[in-house]
Amino acid sequence: MAERIGSSIFVAVVGVAIGFLAQRSRMCFVAGFRDYILVRDRELLLGLFAFLTTIWLLTSALYTFGVLEQRMPQYGELQARSSVAPVDRGAFPERLGDNLRNIRILSAGEPTRPISGLLGRFFYVSLAGGWLLGFLSVFAGGCVLRQHVLCAQGSRNSLLFLTGFYSATLVYYLVVFDRIVWVYQ
Amino acid sequence: MLPTNRYTSTPTERQRPRKYLKPWLFGVIAGTIFVLGEVLFKIAPPSAYAFCLSCHTRDLVNTIVNAVFGKNFQTALIARRVIMVTSPGVLLGAFAAARLTGEHRVQPSDQPVRFFLIGFAVMIIGLVIFGCPTRIVIRAGYGEFYGLVALVGMFLGILVGTILLKLRWSRRL
Repeated sequence: MAERIGSSIFVAVVGVAIGFLAQRSRMCFVAGFRDYILVRDRELLLGLFAFLTTIWLLTSALYTFGVLEQRMPQYGELQARSSVAPVDRGAFPERLGDNLRNIRILSAGEPTRPISGLLGRFFYVSLAGGWLLGFLSVFAGGCVLRQHVLCAQGSRNSLLFLTGFYSATLVYYLVVFDRIVWVYQ
Repeated sequence: MLPTNRYTSTPTERQRPRKYLKPWLFGVIAGTIFVLGEVLFKIAPPSAYAFCLSCHTRDLVNTIVNAVFGKNFQTALIARRVIMVTSPGVLLGAFAAARLTGEHRVQPSDQPVRFFLIGFAVMIIGLVIFGCPTRIVIRAGYGEFYGLVALVGMFLGILVGTILLKLRWSRRL
């Protein structure tokens, strides 16, 4: 119980702290590369690579000392091995809850096997999804973190971005989720 | 140019942009918080989950929907015992920072439909590939294969998008 309270407080405090620091540093994970291409401004790109390098070094050290278990979330592999309930299209609204319960993509608790030579479908989905994220974020003027910060600064465009962002969650789980299970197989 | 006296505060001096935090410093601080937070505060499974705006927003919305409407929408395992208030927290922290430094300024929306649709699409893609841009970078830092792939894809997408932006500007000029 103490752990649960500690984790909850941690998540809340991290949110507030990162929001504060992101506003002060104007950090954006998309604008770095964009600014480098447009005006050769290297500052935000340096921020991204400092972030990446810090995490890489820290996790490497923690893996070495055995503090952090090297349990990479290989989502595609996990999905292939866990038992997936067949999607019953006829009883879509009734069986939705059962289908959702049986698909445990996010539980990275099981050991995963190393990647074999064959690349799964999730490889291409990750590549295309990352491509689209970058492409669309350029036209919105910043990554999701930056949109949160801009919304808090008073930009109404970003408020509409976040409205779409929140409403997409329910649409995804009501409509899309059942039909794209093949992505993870 | 006039010599400026640092003990007088002229209007131009008051409007000068404040000192910003260096982005690389933000990267180091945030990376340290995320990795050590997962170890010390047990934000797992799934791993590399200390910060993600897409996934945490999904967890928050689905937890509320499950509680209110009795549904059984998917959440991450960690969200069964922790309430993920990252997205409201970021809004609150950024609002506090903007208010404290006087950078809060309401700007009316000029393209509401476009921004709504982009936000919608970004959330759906983020849920499919498990991560907003921030968590993609975190996963890549953890050494996860698909995180690295998504990061490469993201850079390619930014490249193409920026080239398109450049073309549009040059045609307009």
